[in-house]
Amino acid sequence: MAKQAPGVRIDGLTVVYKTPAGELPAVRDVTLTLEPGTITGIVGESGSGKSTLALSLLNAVQPPGRIAAGSVDIDGLGDVVALRGENLRKARGKHVGYVFQAAQNSLNPLKTVGKQLLDLGRSHGVDDLRGLVREAKELLGRMGLDGARVLDSHQHELSGGMRQRVGIMLALVLNAHLVVLDEPTTALDMITQANILKIVREVHAERGLTTLVITHDIGVVAEVADRLAVMYGGRLVEQGPTRQVLGAPRHPYTRGLIKAIPRLVGDIAEAQALPGRPPTLVTVPKEGCVFRERCPLRMDVCDTVDPAALADGPRVVACHAVNVKEHA
Amino acid sequence: MITGTGVVKTFKQRGKVLGAREVQALRGVDFAIPKGGAASFIGESGCGKTTLGRIIAGLETYDAGEIVIDDVAMSPLKPKRRQPHFRKIQMIHQDPYSALNPTRTIYQTLYAPLSLRAGQTGRSSSWIEERAAEVLTLVGLDPGTVMSRYPHQLSGGMRQRVVIARALTVDPEMLVADEAVSMIDVSLRLGILALLKDLRERLGVSVLFITHDVATARYIGDDGELYVIYRGQVVERGPVDTVIADPVHPYTQALLSAIPVLHGLEQPGEQPVMPLETLDDSQADAGCLFARRCPFRGERCTSERPLLHVTEGVPQEHACFYPERRNVIARPMSEV
Amino acid sequence: MSVILETSSAAMRRNFWRGVWRVMKRKPSRLVGAALMLGFVFMGVFGPMFYPDPLPRDPGQITRPPSWEHWLGTDDQGRDVIALVVTGSRYVLLAALVTAVITVVVGTGIGLFSGFKRGRWDTVLMRLTDMKLTIPGLPLLLVLSTVWKFSSAVQMGLVLGLLSWGGVARAVRSQTLSLRERGFIEAARGLGLSTSHIVGKELLPSMAPYIAMNVLIAITGGVYSQVGLFFLGVLPYESNNWGQMLNTAVFRSGALTVPSALGFLLGPLLAILLLTLAIVLVVDAMDEIFNPRLREE
Repeated sequence: MAKQAPGVRIDGLTVVYKTPAGELPAVRDVTLTLEPGTITGIVGESGSGKSTLALSLLNAVQPPGRIAAGSVDIDGLGDVVALRGENLRKARGKHVGYVFQAAQNSLNPLKTVGKQLLDLGRSHGVDDLRGLVREAKELLGRMGLDGARVLDSHQHELSGGMRQRVGIMLALVLNAHLVVLDEPTTALDMITQANILKIVREVHAERGLTTLVITHDIGVVAEVADRLAVMYGGRLVEQGPTRQVLGAPRHPYTRGLIKAIPRLVGDIAEAQALPGRPPTLVTVPKEGCVFRERCPLRMDVCDTVDPAALADGPRVVACHAVNVKEHA
Repeated sequence: MITGTGVVKTFKQRGKVLGAREVQALRGVDFAIPKGGAASFIGESGCGKTTLGRIIAGLETYDAGEIVIDDVAMSPLKPKRRQPHFRKIQMIHQDPYSALNPTRTIYQTLYAPLSLRAGQTGRSSSWIEERAAEVLTLVGLDPGTVMSRYPHQLSGGMRQRVVIARALTVDPEMLVADEAVSMIDVSLRLGILALLKDLRERLGVSVLFITHDVATARYIGDDGELYVIYRGQVVERGPVDTVIADPVHPYTQALLSAIPVLHGLEQPGEQPVMPLETLDDSQADAGCLFARRCPFRGERCTSERPLLHVTEGVPQEHACFYPERRNVIARPMSEV
Repeated sequence: MSVILETSSAAMRRNFWRGVWRVMKRKPSRLVGAALMLGFVFMGVFGPMFYPDPLPRDPGQITRPPSWEHWLGTDDQGRDVIALVVTGSRYVLLAALVTAVITVVVGTGIGLFSGFKRGRWDTVLMRLTDMKLTIPGLPLLLVLSTVWKFSSAVQMGLVLGLLSWGGVARAVRSQTLSLRERGFIEAARGLGLSTSHIVGKELLPSMAPYIAMNVLIAITGGVYSQVGLFFLGVLPYESNNWGQMLNTAVFRSGALTVPSALGFLLGPLLAILLLTLAIVLVVDAMDEIFNPRLREE
């Protein structure tokens, strides 16, 4: 493993989608740094822009969407936003491994896993295909599967958890050191989920990766991530070390989200749903704070001014109410 | 009161003439859900919990055993005559997106069952409108804004509320909620769970909650009963909080151990149980169904199958030869 | 309250048509298609009224190429080709319409019943459909034409329709099978709603775009088969129509070799081409018209 875990610096990233109502931002002015060798978790509900953000790491936002502003700087690769054509294709897979949503539909149902592995190798110009297969078997074995058997299988012969492991294998087999996992455990059972999360943690440490996990489930991030970033309505509203954010959330949305998780012990009445509903691309406020409609701390300034993301040590919060208090 | 005794269901794999494989979805399940009560079926996918829920809602037949709805046994009745009984049990599907007809407005969706009802009881058409508005209000929606909408104009949480409102049009005795919140945005899930609990309290509707997420099962009422199902067999059964706080079956313990811990807020349990991994658990076996994945299996486990029973000192029923309490669940930091 | 809802079904109908207009406006090609289709309807219904019957012959202008006087030339009896196309359209279009209606009504009916009932009915009906699908249409038509003269367009459409519902039946059945597993159909059954409600109000509207598309495509199918039959010359004809024109143009006037008969050949071909084009352009809008989400957006 000669390669080092790369760092990633996302700066002022804005991604817009073309709609009949004009170009609307799905991700707005997001600044986020993935330190080399860490696991970062992005949490958000539907429409928060988390998946779009993940796709931007590969410059893979599909039309009608496009990256309108900002940069994604990856060590050893440069600004991904500027990459085009063949260079971009090569970068995907080789530098950045992407594991699709629970790998449910990302495998070709007509081809065995092995055949798809060879296709992947050929399209990236790998000369040593035998070595690739050996590497794949080793990875699968590491994840508790019978490599030879899995490579000979079609998608329908594998369970959800097995498919997810195959997805991780395909993302890592070309020796990528930056891995993006999009909803890695959605639609999986609790026990399978726990297994997959354990594998993600272990593989991350063993191979020296920089990992980004995208999920709607705070529990998943709590289990694996060093750093937690919360997205809402295309904005990054809070980020910081996972334990600190979970232990003492600052942004009202993060607080509400944590309060809304059903727990195993404690008073049932303590857990509460957030009022209102998450915004869509069309309903997200054009100016002012994106969260104000559901916010218990709403002030007048929230209607007109989008709160800036202010750093306080390792923690960043974008909220007028919180930042005013902190700085007062 | 809805009870089941020894419910068995076997699926035959279709399309195979030779060597047709049979899958035992349910291996003799007993349950009892009192009027206005709550019960939860929990287990992994494929454990039979959904099949059982569908059987209880009358959407699936059963091969053996008996289901009794308000003292009327179902199997002696002809399918046509069962229907009015099963209508008292309404299913809330997992996916609120496919559960509503996209070509019909919310009012049209509610109108159909209500007009049937109005016809049977000789009520006027103005009653239909009033009742439609009433059920929508019951589930926390504003009739004025929702009625003329199409499903696509509502959020997932609102759709699920409409689905519940539609079920309420027939004045059901029980709602069967199959993973009813898993496709709804996290911040809104608790709202739906609270609604189900609220309907129990206000209307006396019993709720059967089917899920793989044990934590959500608590939120329909702490007086509810929890059924832990593994491969078509109930392996542990008891009051919700007892089973969660003091599980004795290793499978229940594994399910509880697998729930993510909110580090920074919670302290993980000290004795988490990770089930062993097996690639193939399809073949029939004589012993405990969980034995092959059980880290604590004893000699007796592979030769003899434990059935649901009670032992001294354990308040809940369980199907394990060696029941033992283990500290598996995460607890809030403040409590530790 | 009650007043609002009483009028709501009328309002919904109004909304529907407003939505249809919105969908059609979205692409100019759809409007072109719709205009062409209206043109053909007008031609079929009123066209023949503009011409004397029988059409005037001009013995001095036999099989002429296009000219100012006769835009698409004349036929071998000195009649104007455009007049022939217009007067011949009624038979062709009426027969095609009857074909389409029968194809879709029978096909949808059998497909729905089969897919919804499943079990024994399904097996019987689908075997029947398979059998029907294996019968080669054209040879059968040729045989039938020896005993039946197809003098009226309705008869023609009836026979063609009864020969072509198989594909629709199979497709509707598979749609029904997949739709009946959907949550809302299951919910309707759980609520004790009648079968006629489930089929009529839940299943059919969900398949509406599909059925509408099939009607339109069946029309082109109907045009092709009857034009083909007449072109082959296996049917005697009483009134003129597009197929018979093609037959005469090719076999009697030698349109493939004689340039002066080219207009005679082009007339009916152009009509068929435009009709097909109109249908293709309109079919494109069906999905959006019947899906409330796509209609409103």
